[in-house]
Amino acid sequence: MSTTTLKRNDVQQRSHGFGYKSVKMLLTQRIALLGLLIVVVLAVMMSLDAAGAMSGSYDADYLAAALISAVPLAMLGLAELMVILSGRGGIDLSVGAIVSLCCIVFGYSYGIWDLGLFPSIVITAVAGAVCGAINGFLVAYIGFPPLIATLATFYAFKSLALIISGQKPISTIQIQDFFSAAQSVEIPVIGYNLPNIPLGIFTFLIPTALLAWILLNRTTFGRRLYALGTNDVAARWAGVDTRANRMMAYVLSGLISGLVAIVIVAQFASARPDAGVSGNGLALPAITIAVLGGVAITGGIGRVSGILLATLLVVWLNAGILLAFAGNEGTQLQLLALGLLLIGASLLNNLTRKKFGVLY
Amino acid sequence: MRTTEKSRPQVTAGIPVAKKILPSLVTGQEVVLIGIIAVLWILLGLLTPAFLTAGSILPLLVAVAPIALIGVGMTLIIITAGIDVSVGAAIMVTSVVTSQTMVATGIPLIPAVLLSVAVGALLGLVNGYLVAYGKIHAIIITFGTANLFQFIGLRFFGSSTVNGLPDTFDVFGRGEAGRTFGIPHSFAITVIVVALAWWYLRHAASGRHLFAVGGNETAARLAGIKVKPLILRTYVITGALVGLAACFLIGQGTSTLEQSVGAGRELAVIAAVVIGGTSILGGRGTVLGTLLGAILVQTVTSGVTQMGWPSQLSDFFVGVAIIAAVGTDILRERSRRKS
Repeated sequence: MSTTTLKRNDVQQRSHGFGYKSVKMLLTQRIALLGLLIVVVLAVMMSLDAAGAMSGSYDADYLAAALISAVPLAMLGLAELMVILSGRGGIDLSVGAIVSLCCIVFGYSYGIWDLGLFPSIVITAVAGAVCGAINGFLVAYIGFPPLIATLATFYAFKSLALIISGQKPISTIQIQDFFSAAQSVEIPVIGYNLPNIPLGIFTFLIPTALLAWILLNRTTFGRRLYALGTNDVAARWAGVDTRANRMMAYVLSGLISGLVAIVIVAQFASARPDAGVSGNGLALPAITIAVLGGVAITGGIGRVSGILLATLLVVWLNAGILLAFAGNEGTQLQLLALGLLLIGASLLNNLTRKKFGVLY
Repeated sequence: MRTTEKSRPQVTAGIPVAKKILPSLVTGQEVVLIGIIAVLWILLGLLTPAFLTAGSILPLLVAVAPIALIGVGMTLIIITAGIDVSVGAAIMVTSVVTSQTMVATGIPLIPAVLLSVAVGALLGLVNGYLVAYGKIHAIIITFGTANLFQFIGLRFFGSSTVNGLPDTFDVFGRGEAGRTFGIPHSFAITVIVVALAWWYLRHAASGRHLFAVGGNETAARLAGIKVKPLILRTYVITGALVGLAACFLIGQGTSTLEQSVGAGRELAVIAAVVIGGTSILGGRGTVLGTLLGAILVQTVTSGVTQMGWPSQLSDFFVGVAIIAAVGTDILRERSRRKS
């Protein structure tokens, strides 16, 4: 113990140059690091573009169009943020399966029963919240380890989506017309000089991120979530109803997944029963975004801004890779980039903890 | 019992000395699982007469083999409070490397298996090194390496499947070549590996150390256990078993290897392990439970098909089985703590 204090004093007594301070800031402030990485990615890709190494132009219009894949990714990242913050190994493997199930719910209520857009959105969101409540009940009240509970519900929801839909996507005329909700739009008043932005950014991502930020930073629920994620026992002794609050985190995660389902239906103009679980599913990228965004897997640490910046980094990096490498090679290299980013980010988290003790 | 130990209870003055040092041969969870599997088999046997025949049970056991085999390694990892979600991607890498080598050079059985096991162990080494020495939560590292392994696997695949596989691995397959005296080779090998792991976890010093590390890593380290090499070893063992399981999967498949060969298998393996009563929090678990868990999952899957229900329904029952198995375990643990 004494050696560590000595070392720390030593560090404090050294006169800090600008270099040391900026390195410390980059390592302890995940936001700063992500911001720098985004700038690096943009600079590298744009210079590659200028050198003519790209198959298309990596310009503002392309970047804006790439944002369409940022909407589900960032929203599910926020869902994982809520759950991982709640601590005790909090994680939600079932988000992709909830998305699949909610796609079908939305497909039925909007596309087949024709209940109108707004009621359908509410029904889908509620369905997602109910799925999340099942996870939350198992974890918070029965005491299932989150990994197990959400693994089990992943299987159950995924199966239900396929069974209910009879494995057929729903693409009635209403659903096909709903594609317009995913189009890119010009921002009014100031828009004509700016590239067109996908509508989902304004209708879904920004409201969700704003609400998540308010919930986490300006409400008692948010402070309690951080408290019980940091130290469950201490939070209980401080009078926090840890079970109800932890369950709430899973309900919110399910609710956000329900909203993501609507975004995905709009993007594909079809309600697919395997939308959230095909291939590697949506849970893995969402957890990756959360970890990359500086959320500590042990709970209690993580910010909305980290999730948003991590999403931008991944989306713009992926978009660049697709242009720089043609066809299959591009999609394969995206996997490599994601894996290296994840391992690199967590090794960096570790180094930071060792060197500076804290991570914001 | 040596004679000197007789005086011990008197020395400790009234405090009862635990006579039972070793855990019991069969845990409660295993008994429950054997019961459930027996009930399911009898029910399915009554409902569909074709179920309790060799033509139905043997393919079931062949299908259990790869999951249970990887499950043995996963049990060791989870006992140390770790996890490995990269096994699905690792299956893809080992199987594509092995099958492309077989197609290109036509190497015989033993070298092919050794190659697959070596490649798997190498992937396990990467995982183990990062988890043990990088001091990062295992789930994050293995999510990361899952992406890396997928990249490597897809690179080997190119953009298509591997076609024209030789029949080298038919000894592990479903067919007649895969059996001796009616017993599938792949299942027999799995049972032998489970038995070895059972002995290792119960009687070998380093096997007991795994439980100590999973129960309390700091305490284990202070007690003189070399934690890092031990953790590294569990991932290498799992990788090697992934290599062997990949041979089974190639043998069970057609002469074409698909890119989706490992997709989703990591979750199936973890499901088998946790249904078998291994605590995801570490410090508790058995490989016999994992084998039974894998058999239960496969019984549910083939039961759904035999009943003529849509096959997607089996995943629903797998989810229910996880909730039921882990739920009873949690409740039993709770009542044990109360008493």
